[in-house]
Amino acid sequence: MADVRDEFQQDLEILLAEVGELLAVTEESLVELEKAPDNADIIQEVFRVMHTIKGGAATLGLQEAVDVSHGMESLLDQIRSGKRRVTTEFMNVLFQAVDWLKEWKAALEERREVPPNAELVEMIGCVAEEADAAGPQASEDPVAWDAAQGGSGSGAAYDGASHATVDLDALPEATAKKLESAIADGKSLVALTVKFRADAALLSVRCFQILTLLDEIVEVVASIPSQEEIEEDKVSSTLVVFVAADDGGRGAMELVATSPDVAEVLAERFQPVVMFDPLEAEMLEKETAGSKGRHGEEPASSGDRLATAAGEIGEGKASLPSDTGAEGTREATKASSKPAGDASRAAASKPSQDAPIPRRSDLGRTVRVDVALLDFLMNMVGELVIDRTRLSQIAAQLMRNPETASVGSEISSLAAHLQRTSSELQEGIMQARLLPVKSIFSKFPRMMRDLSRRCGKEIDFEIQGENTELDRTVLEAIDDPLIHILRNAVDHGIELPEKRVAMGKPRKGRVVLSAVHEENQVVVRVEDDGAGIDAEKVKRSAIKKGLITEEAAQKMSEKDALELIFMPGFSTAEVATEVSGRGVGMDVVRSNLEKVNGQIEVRTKMGEGTTVTLRLPLTLAIMRALLVQCGDQVYAIPTSSVEEVLAMEDVTVGSIQGKPAMNVRGKVVPLVSLEGALRDDPWAGNGHKYALLTRSTDQPLAIGVGGLIGEEEVVVKEMGRMLSRLKGIAGATILAQGDPAVILDVNRVV
Amino acid sequence: MSIHDSGTLSSSSGGERQIVAFSLGQETYGVDIASVREIIPIQKIVPVPRAPDFVEGIINLRGRVIPVLDLRKQFGFEEKKGDPNQRIVLVESGEDSIGVIVDSVSSVMRISEDSVEPPASVVVGNEIEYIQGIAKVGEDLIVLLDLTKIISDAEKRTLREADLRAAVVHE
Repeated sequence: MADVRDEFQQDLEILLAEVGELLAVTEESLVELEKAPDNADIIQEVFRVMHTIKGGAATLGLQEAVDVSHGMESLLDQIRSGKRRVTTEFMNVLFQAVDWLKEWKAALEERREVPPNAELVEMIGCVAEEADAAGPQASEDPVAWDAAQGGSGSGAAYDGASHATVDLDALPEATAKKLESAIADGKSLVALTVKFRADAALLSVRCFQILTLLDEIVEVVASIPSQEEIEEDKVSSTLVVFVAADDGGRGAMELVATSPDVAEVLAERFQPVVMFDPLEAEMLEKETAGSKGRHGEEPASSGDRLATAAGEIGEGKASLPSDTGAEGTREATKASSKPAGDASRAAASKPSQDAPIPRRSDLGRTVRVDVALLDFLMNMVGELVIDRTRLSQIAAQLMRNPETASVGSEISSLAAHLQRTSSELQEGIMQARLLPVKSIFSKFPRMMRDLSRRCGKEIDFEIQGENTELDRTVLEAIDDPLIHILRNAVDHGIELPEKRVAMGKPRKGRVVLSAVHEENQVVVRVEDDGAGIDAEKVKRSAIKKGLITEEAAQKMSEKDALELIFMPGFSTAEVATEVSGRGVGMDVVRSNLEKVNGQIEVRTKMGEGTTVTLRLPLTLAIMRALLVQCGDQVYAIPTSSVEEVLAMEDVTVGSIQGKPAMNVRGKVVPLVSLEGALRDDPWAGNGHKYALLTRSTDQPLAIGVGGLIGEEEVVVKEMGRMLSRLKGIAGATILAQGDPAVILDVNRVV
Repeated sequence: MSIHDSGTLSSSSGGERQIVAFSLGQETYGVDIASVREIIPIQKIVPVPRAPDFVEGIINLRGRVIPVLDLRKQFGFEEKKGDPNQRIVLVESGEDSIGVIVDSVSSVMRISEDSVEPPASVVVGNEIEYIQGIAKVGEDLIVLLDLTKIISDAEKRTLREADLRAAVVHE
């Protein structure tokens, strides 16, 4: 599994995965923001996301994305600082930027050329300028760095941060020289910006202390103020230390974060590039001011960790000219109430070209795992299960012989234990394959917003149960169907506002997407309070398209009529609209679901709305299957697709139009032979012992089989690309005694 | 990477190639050792309904389900069953492994580049696109096969058939 890949490629993959997650969050947030333009938390969140993307992209030199995310950041900052209100035009620019970033991500993933961004950047720039012209600018005036800028240094003057990407010319000559020569020596420099608490006493002592501390673990190249200046008490509330460190200054930063009176530490890779971003300063300033921000809730544990570290350091550095030890408790409180390390690390990705990708510090709790590895583990568990079965069989044999009975019973209890262990292992791996439905739901608010606009409809879209978990393969399989169903809800379901009002309904339509765990299934529902589906209209449309005869239509119940929408080639829209008419119909939706052993059900009430229900298995990796004998082969058939098993001796077989059929509780069901069907001659063969009644949404079918072996939990395996698209063949499995067996999709076998 | 490249023989220094030699009917064939993952004895092969003719079925290889092709059928030779010398040669194809049944595996051998001649002069017919060259080893001729191409073509054909079938069903 250890493939040696290009390091850049690896970093890129990590970045893109992260960007994908972040964008999903952003889209959702933007839709929310549109609804609640004053929600400062959302603005802050989106701002942060953009900031992170910018930092990550900058690290890998992906300038196009840096430009766009930077622009987004600026725009959001204008909202944040009250310079601009959230307008539709403004939101549209933001949405376009998100779209561009998505495209950019896709392009990189597929190794295509990244999309051009000039137009977008220009547009963002225009919008941003408008606001600039309108609003006050005072706070954005770059404050020149002044080493001697002294005084008590209140939190408001947090001007040092943005200078980490410093113009060397602006530095004292001696400092600049030191830095230049260190860079020339090929050292990897990190600028640590240390911000002291406003009420910190003895600042020069604190500065000195930090320099001493750092000196122990890294090479201190220079500082602002310099050591000399510190000794002369020329200090401010901010100290910038340039250190040579290979870990991006992480260790140094953590160490400093635990020092007394430190409010904030920033570590940034230092490069002599002139780039100044007033927004950054402003943002950091706000963070430093420590208002609220979602970071407060996040790293409770890391706060504890920092507190512990503080205690340790306090003891270890008894020689330091300070009361570090005594301050241990105070530090601890401070560290947990204001997790400086984390907040600053998250904020650390400044526009310096080399800022490290911010990483969450609770990485220790979760890991990213390749699905292929999980599949591999699942295979191995499958092997264990097979071995266990073999072991039980051997035990049974041994126990039959009195001489070996005692060994046999020992093996038997061993096999029983193995069974427990392996099924727990199996369970664990299955758990690991689960993802919250959020991962696909999160893009829907945006989609619904766009759709409803395009259709001129007003819709409240709500998501419930987004943390419900599903196997990732199932999730993938329901993604497109859900898009289609939601589109239908907007396009055909919800009426135009005027019409709704005229009907006495609330002007705004309502669409609810929910996911809930029910027994052994996950049920995903799309409910709307729209017009409902007109069964008569469905029938007429089906007749017109030649799907059914007039006669058949008349006899059809409403429920059966609704089934028509699942027929290939059916669509009620008179003209295919831009929104739902894409040549994909409900038939495709259903077949997609059936591929993952899911079922779909539509309930509707004229004038009141429609509910589409998807019933999905928790996992695809394992399913209950009926093992049937057919000729000399054994096939596995998912139990979920079989309604009932009938013994042939209990039923009467008649014939309709010369073809066998049986009467099941008053309903005539065609009877085919499995053996024949697999040879594409469904009516051939007889002498079946059992008939399986399929659980099918359209035409139930009785499938005759030679014998029934039993029901077993089987691990579903792929047969590879070559055999992946055979009609009626869903995959393969390995049976308990070790033989492979084909899994059939009985709904498509004929 | 073109299909032809993927099947190119890996040549070691000194103008030699390492091949796995096997027999099929009266002839000896060779495949590049780099494309062979494993050689296993024949084991229970379970047929897959609706699979194309040259797909013999599937086997259980340590918990993985692997399709197995019969090279004899592929080349239009008569079927041969139950010969204990038969082997399954496992070849990587994209992300999948695919087994190929051969009559027997004789050896792994080194052949010199100089002994390899282009196929055009010797062979005609459909198989030519799967033949990389003919190696002369002593009195024997070894046909150097591009198994990877055989498999990828078989895959394409299967998928095309599946699509055709699907199209028919939809009508």
